[in-house]
Amino acid sequence: MTESRTPKFGPVAVAVATGALLTVGILVRVHGAVADAKLRLITPDTNKPAIAVADQSEVAYCTPRFKEVLERVLHSCGLVSGEGGRRGCQPADVKTFASISDSDFNELFTPLKDRGAVIMYDEGKDDLDERAKKVLEDMWFERKGARYFFVVARASKTGTVDKNRALSHRRANSVMFHLKDVSKDPEIEKIVGLLWLGNEFAQLSKEYCGWNNSRQDTKCNDEAINRSAFVSWVDCRL
Amino acid sequence: MGPRFAPMSEPQSKGPALVALIGSLLGLVFSYSSTVDYAAHLDRRLHDVHCSFIPGAPPTSEAEACRAAMYSPYSAIMRDTLWGGIPISVFALGAFAFFAGFSIYLLLAKEKASRANVMMFAAVSVTPLLVSIVMFTISVTKLGTLCKTCVGTYISSALLAAGGLMSLRTLNSSSDGAQRPSGQPMVAVFWLVALAVLTLLPTLVYAASAPDQRPYLGKCGELKKPEEPSGALVKFRGARAVQPALLFEDPLCPTCKALHERLIGEGVLDRLDVTLSLFPLDNTCNWMLSDQSLHPGACVVARAVICAKGQELQMLEWAFAEQTSLTAAGKSGEAVLKARIQQRWGKALVDCTDSRDAKATLNKHLHFAAENNVPVSTPQVFLGKQRLCDEDTDLGLRFTLKQLAPEVLQ
Repeated sequence: MTESRTPKFGPVAVAVATGALLTVGILVRVHGAVADAKLRLITPDTNKPAIAVADQSEVAYCTPRFKEVLERVLHSCGLVSGEGGRRGCQPADVKTFASISDSDFNELFTPLKDRGAVIMYDEGKDDLDERAKKVLEDMWFERKGARYFFVVARASKTGTVDKNRALSHRRANSVMFHLKDVSKDPEIEKIVGLLWLGNEFAQLSKEYCGWNNSRQDTKCNDEAINRSAFVSWVDCRL
Repeated sequence: MGPRFAPMSEPQSKGPALVALIGSLLGLVFSYSSTVDYAAHLDRRLHDVHCSFIPGAPPTSEAEACRAAMYSPYSAIMRDTLWGGIPISVFALGAFAFFAGFSIYLLLAKEKASRANVMMFAAVSVTPLLVSIVMFTISVTKLGTLCKTCVGTYISSALLAAGGLMSLRTLNSSSDGAQRPSGQPMVAVFWLVALAVLTLLPTLVYAASAPDQRPYLGKCGELKKPEEPSGALVKFRGARAVQPALLFEDPLCPTCKALHERLIGEGVLDRLDVTLSLFPLDNTCNWMLSDQSLHPGACVVARAVICAKGQELQMLEWAFAEQTSLTAAGKSGEAVLKARIQQRWGKALVDCTDSRDAKATLNKHLHFAAENNVPVSTPQVFLGKQRLCDEDTDLGLRFTLKQLAPEVLQ
């Protein structure tokens, strides 16, 4: 008898069995992988790392007391309430809402020594000289992550209280007007907080002459340092 | 007519089947790794992925090329109807299982395997290679990178095809000079049907098991203040724009580049009216990264985008295209980076990046992010006010768009 060339079922059976086994294995594993993912999907991920959220900067000097006073400024002086209300605070307002002594008030701003600058004016004047504009712009464009820009304008003891109150108000406004010109920021009213203190509240001592100011080359004394507007970004979330 | 090929000895006649079997099994392992990686991401979380020439090597976090391939529009089909679609690797699984089984048959049956079966096997064994050639071409031309696991599959396919084609040499003769049975063509057709069924079965199981992702779409937050009042943000409108979208991007962020390429690859960018908020992950301008710069130099490149008035998109795409060299330049220092930018865009633009206005504008971009309390990460996509979850901008992009903004895909 010659050997038959007809293929036997043996190889076919083995091949089919192998293919079937592999296929069943694949189906089980694919289903398992997808089902595992489904289970994880409906199970809250407790190990999920917290994601940082974008926000304004918040630095060390933002103490609760500092923030409390600034928040009162924001709310009482029209920055937060916004639309159409009056803007800025005068000495009487500051005394009322800040509930803080002159020296404590100034002390709050001490940490802003390196962040801010003192814009200085001529006696009885409220216009910014070129150097003042330059210092102001330098400050303004170093915003970084700050949300609010504060302008605390003062006047020296020379003259009457009313006159100095009005003068310091005009000085605060001169800063604001210049910032409006250079920034072209439609939101500026919601960013800049104005306080004008006249000569009644929180006068600066001569020590502040050592701070960054717009008249480094001229004589600075108790009178001159208060013919000024202190300007600074405040890196606090309020 | 005499035999076309020289007679093969028995060990030699087993060779082609053995090569095909090895190719099939390797292909099975590589495509299984790809499938498992893909399926794992259906939980909407981030996982390590397999990315090695070594079959069965463990997943790794250092797998950018494999991740890029996985997130690309070419890794899956039916992405509109199923979140993530059905990965190509699932089709490969069933096919390689069939080829493994058939290789075993050829190995055992030797010269008793019919001519029809051998010819059918030779013909279909090249199909994975053809698919591999297409995928290889896409990887090189569209993605610009080769994923190791994918290359493993390509090599497996080549081995399988080599085995299949070599088996043709055993057709006309055998070691004892006897002729093979010719076999029934219908049997070959049966095997073809079996191949089709085995290829489709895992895809059906995958699709049937996949979770419904619709409840999770659009659950990743909203913009609090959608408008940037000073108009500082960058705008570019696609030629057929139908949907406003806001993107937070860093020009030196690889994931942003990958997203941009996906949006182009899917034909989506053209349909978007894009507002771009630059969010460089570089602490020289971004105060939100206090400890370290993730992408040194990104602030300079972001300002370059702002300065490229009217060509913002071209500048952004240039930054993405040159991201590797710009990143290296950024690490070498600002001067090196500026020189690199100047080479392509000129001195005026580099001078502009140092200007007060450019710095202030970029600062406004960052404040826009802060006002909206968006996550400190890039990229981020908002459709209108609604933030798309990160996973819905990669694997789930088409599905999510189909659900939330179907007009973008039309």
